[in-house]
Amino acid sequence: MAEPSLTGAPEPGEVSSAEKALLQRPSFGIRARLALGFLAFFLLAAAVTAAAWIMLSRLEVRLKFLEVADRYTLEIQQARRFEKNYFLYGTNLQDVQEHVANARKLLGSSEAEVFKVLSAADLRRMRDHLDRYEALIQSLVEMEKNAPADRAAKQAAVEVEVRAHGSQMVSFAMELSQKERNSVNQTLALFKRLPVAFLIVLLLLVAFIVNFLARQMLGPLSRLMATAQRIATGDFTPITPARKYRDEFSDLAVALNTMMREVAHRQEILVQSHKLRAVGTLTAGVAHELNNPINNIMLTAEMLKEDYTTLSDAERLEMVDDLVGEAGRSQKIVRNLLDFAREGEMETESLDMAELLRRTAGLAANQIKLTGAKILMDIPENLPPVYGDKQSLSQVFLNLLLNALDAVQKGGSVRISAGGGKEDPGYVSVRVSDDGHGIPPHVLPYIFDPFFTTKSKGKGTGLGLSVSLGIVRQHGGDIRVQSSPQEGTTFTVLLPAAMVPGLGERPC
Amino acid sequence: MDERLSVLVLDDEPIVGRRLQPALAKIGCDVEIFEAPGPALERLKEKAFHIVVTDIRMDDMDGIEVLERVMERNPETRVIMITGYATVEMAREAEAKGAFDFIAKPFKPQELRDVIAKAADSLGFHGVAHAAVPDVP
Ligand SMILES: Nc1ncnc2c1ncn2[C@@H]1O[C@H](COP(=O)(O)OP(=O)(O)OP(=O)(O)O)[C@@H](O)[C@H]1O
Ligand SMILES: [Mg+2]
Repeated sequence: MAEPSLTGAPEPGEVSSAEKALLQRPSFGIRARLALGFLAFFLLAAAVTAAAWIMLSRLEVRLKFLEVADRYTLEIQQARRFEKNYFLYGTNLQDVQEHVANARKLLGSSEAEVFKVLSAADLRRMRDHLDRYEALIQSLVEMEKNAPADRAAKQAAVEVEVRAHGSQMVSFAMELSQKERNSVNQTLALFKRLPVAFLIVLLLLVAFIVNFLARQMLGPLSRLMATAQRIATGDFTPITPARKYRDEFSDLAVALNTMMREVAHRQEILVQSHKLRAVGTLTAGVAHELNNPINNIMLTAEMLKEDYTTLSDAERLEMVDDLVGEAGRSQKIVRNLLDFAREGEMETESLDMAELLRRTAGLAANQIKLTGAKILMDIPENLPPVYGDKQSLSQVFLNLLLNALDAVQKGGSVRISAGGGKEDPGYVSVRVSDDGHGIPPHVLPYIFDPFFTTKSKGKGTGLGLSVSLGIVRQHGGDIRVQSSPQEGTTFTVLLPAAMVPGLGERPC
Repeated sequence: MDERLSVLVLDDEPIVGRRLQPALAKIGCDVEIFEAPGPALERLKEKAFHIVVTDIRMDDMDGIEVLERVMERNPETRVIMITGYATVEMAREAEAKGAFDFIAKPFKPQELRDVIAKAADSLGFHGVAHAAVPDVP
């Protein structure tokens, strides 16, 4: 089959290649996608937790440092208070030394962990200050012990230095803890923003994942939905891959392809068996039709034999001509039916509707005679051709014609007309109308259902219209019906017109 | 008996008439051939035939109607119906309406001649048909 424009019977090769293409893609299932999405969630949460953990432990160290720094400042301040007392009231310096020792202890003991927050330079300066101060106090103590002559003068000199140094030391320590306090506040402020940032990122991630899943799952779902609708109209083109990866939907697509192949196959069988039924109906008529030429042959041959010797040559020749003519007539009657009955592959070709309709009416010629109905053919000569299978389209029109003949009374009429389809441009419309008993409105919705019939058992199977609609839809067309019990019934078959060879074909 | 047997043959197949004309003339019948019911009925108004042979199914009018008209006009006429396949019901109807006999298509000339002889017998034309039948070699 060169032109697979009929979508009804997908070629086995076409189907298996579609299936192969569907299955050959790398697998990336919905489960894996979901897992990936949730892994992203988990990683985000873990990152946020880790960040919080790190920030909190930094904060803890800072707070500890602040505590130590405050105690250190306190010790220095105490030392300075006693130092002041010493200079004012001459109290001893022991208390000063004690507090300085305490301060040093603080500086030394917790140096390792707590003072890491300080830069090495700051720490050195702190320690230098403390050393210097301690040394100065020590020199004062020495002076007390030895009581040198110029004690007062020396004391005064040291006092100035001690005072200057002490105040520097205190302000440095306070400055430092103030700096640290600021930095702790900053960290806290940052910490306050963290959940907000987390929420924003989470929102973005959720939006992305929702979008991703929607695309990954709803996309194929709506595609499959469209396919289901397509199948309902009789289009059985196999589904081909649209995405890079294979997933559970691909298995569904494969299953659908298998189903379509089965349905198409069954439909073919149905079409074929209904055709044979129609052939059965026609055979009776054809047998009757054949009676006439056979009778003519019989009479002519008998008379030729009887009067052979008395007949003139001209008379004999005339009789032989009659014999030949009647034999040819019989052949024509049979050939038309055999052409129709022949089981064959669907073949698309450019079809002349006028010719097809005349042949079809010819097939039913005797049925028409039996009914006593009049057939009116109104087919314009310039009809555009239709791409399709001659046999199955002929079957469609035959079914409609036989239905019409069943509906009309003796002396009724059936009109077969065709047009370029003014209401539906691009289509050729064929109308089969009768003035028969019509279809009651409550029955009308069901006439295309398989096995729906109002005819007696053995007379109708109810498959005619269902099979016909299947065939017409395969050709990308449609059948419409209009009926009223008073005026009769009109069936309109719309088929895509082939303007330029190839254009009438539907893209697969 | 001096009177010759008059036969009207009505069949829309022209060849039927062409062959039956000489076949029946041979047995001493006056044969008139018609291909359409209309002219045949006209002729039947003018003349009462002894025997009418009509096809039961024709395009314009069927043989039953012809039978009815003949019976109305001249019940004595013997009407022989040529039947085809799948017209058993019609045959029954025709019988009820007074058809003399049936002959099924396809038939041989001799078969029709036999039926006509029977009809002639029933009309009192004794021996007419049989005597005229030639021996078939
Ligand atoms: N032209 C018509 N006029 C009146 N009723 C019709 C006409 N065409 C179809 N119908 C109704 O539609 C029913 C279904 O038609 P369909 O051709 O599918 O089956 P069927 O003719 O009953 O059986 P089958 O075609 O197998 O012999 C018919 O039984 C009849 O009631
Ligand atoms: Mg039908």
